[in-house]
Amino acid sequence: MQDDSRLIQQLKDKDERALSLLYDNYSGAIYSVILKMIKDEGKAQNLLQDTFMTVWDKADNYDASKGRFYTWVYRIAKNKTLNVLRKTDPLIQTDDFSVHTNKEDDAISIESEYLELNGAITTLEAHHKEAIELVYFKGLTHKEAHQEMDVPLGTFKSYVRQALKQLRTTYSKTISVLLLILNAL
Amino acid sequence: MDKKMLLENGLLAQYVLGELNAKDREQIEQLLASDAELKAHFDQLEADFEQLGQDNAIAPPAAVKSQLLDAIKSSASNDTKVVHLQPKNNTKWYLGIAASIAAFLLAGSFWMYNQLNDVKQQLQTVESNNTELNTTIEVLNKELQDTNTFYTAIVNPDTEQYILKGNDLLPEAKVVSYVNHKTKSVVINTERLPKLDADHDYQMWADVEGEMINMGVISKDKNLMTMAYIDHAESLNITIEPAGGNDHPTVEKLVTNVYIN
Repeated sequence: MQDDSRLIQQLKDKDERALSLLYDNYSGAIYSVILKMIKDEGKAQNLLQDTFMTVWDKADNYDASKGRFYTWVYRIAKNKTLNVLRKTDPLIQTDDFSVHTNKEDDAISIESEYLELNGAITTLEAHHKEAIELVYFKGLTHKEAHQEMDVPLGTFKSYVRQALKQLRTTYSKTISVLLLILNAL
Repeated sequence: MDKKMLLENGLLAQYVLGELNAKDREQIEQLLASDAELKAHFDQLEADFEQLGQDNAIAPPAAVKSQLLDAIKSSASNDTKVVHLQPKNNTKWYLGIAASIAAFLLAGSFWMYNQLNDVKQQLQTVESNNTELNTTIEVLNKELQDTNTFYTAIVNPDTEQYILKGNDLLPEAKVVSYVNHKTKSVVINTERLPKLDADHDYQMWADVEGEMINMGVISKDKNLMTMAYIDHAESLNITIEPAGGNDHPTVEKLVTNVYIN
């Protein structure tokens, strides 16, 4: 989304200011994902801090040629959250590492607005939206998610593919509208 | 695994989401490194995923950040390190765009406001013109009405015309009077009456059996005017009196008279 390469180099050089700025840019999106997975504000805040501690400690492991900085942080956050869920979930099914069995029955109090989705994803058809929500915001694997939605894996994958295509169209439209407005100025 | 399979099987999405095992990851990374088209597709996908995340961002409490910064300071306390304070312009691009839109709207509002003011001013001009025209019409109407009144009085077949010619005191004077005994009206034309100074006025009298009865003071700024009609008048007389008129005529200042049949 923006050119963070200089900030990331400074992060690798252990520049606290770079960490602070990167945190400002990414903590909101990452916190949202953690919250939606774990549904507990206190735990989510600990996990967020833990995630950025790892970003600080392991910054040298990040390889920009392999993907975006956000993707890297997202994976760290997701793995840490899944680990906590596995440890605390007594219903854990070890055979497929599923951590989501009976998840919906857990009465964890959290502001419902934290679980709501915003932006382009809300314009998707319900089943497309659910597919993305499961794999992106709830941390399910494709394999878990297609069972959750009770559709064949192939169908589920095509949901994801169509949803992504739709999102792509929406985002490119938004960008061209913004460019038009900027040009008009 | 090849490119076609990668594109059709949704594996790239799973890769971005971190679902794949080490072996699959390595294969995908090799394919990405060697295929620019695939890499472009992957870049787009990642950007969209990031946008999706940013769309749904929830600001964490500020305490998390300060704890984080404290934690890294204490973990790296034995490092002596210079922190470069670089004034990097880190404003988020969408804030910039929001600001642009706001500026655009502001400029638009300002323009509309100016337009509104112009229109208001024009409306005011039109309104004052309108008032002026209305006043003119009122004045013209009044004049027309007066003129009509005089006209009907003068052209009435029952109206008789008497001419008052100036005597020795005022030989150049001439007043035409139109008397109608049926409608009991008197209209006089004073066009030929010489101007008086501000201290004096002409006054008109009717002679009824030897008594002079006031018919009214003659206005200085009108050529045609209505005077009081007096029953049984034998003659019409005009005298010069102090400004504003007199109760009794100053007979030595009589300038003209005419007998009525």
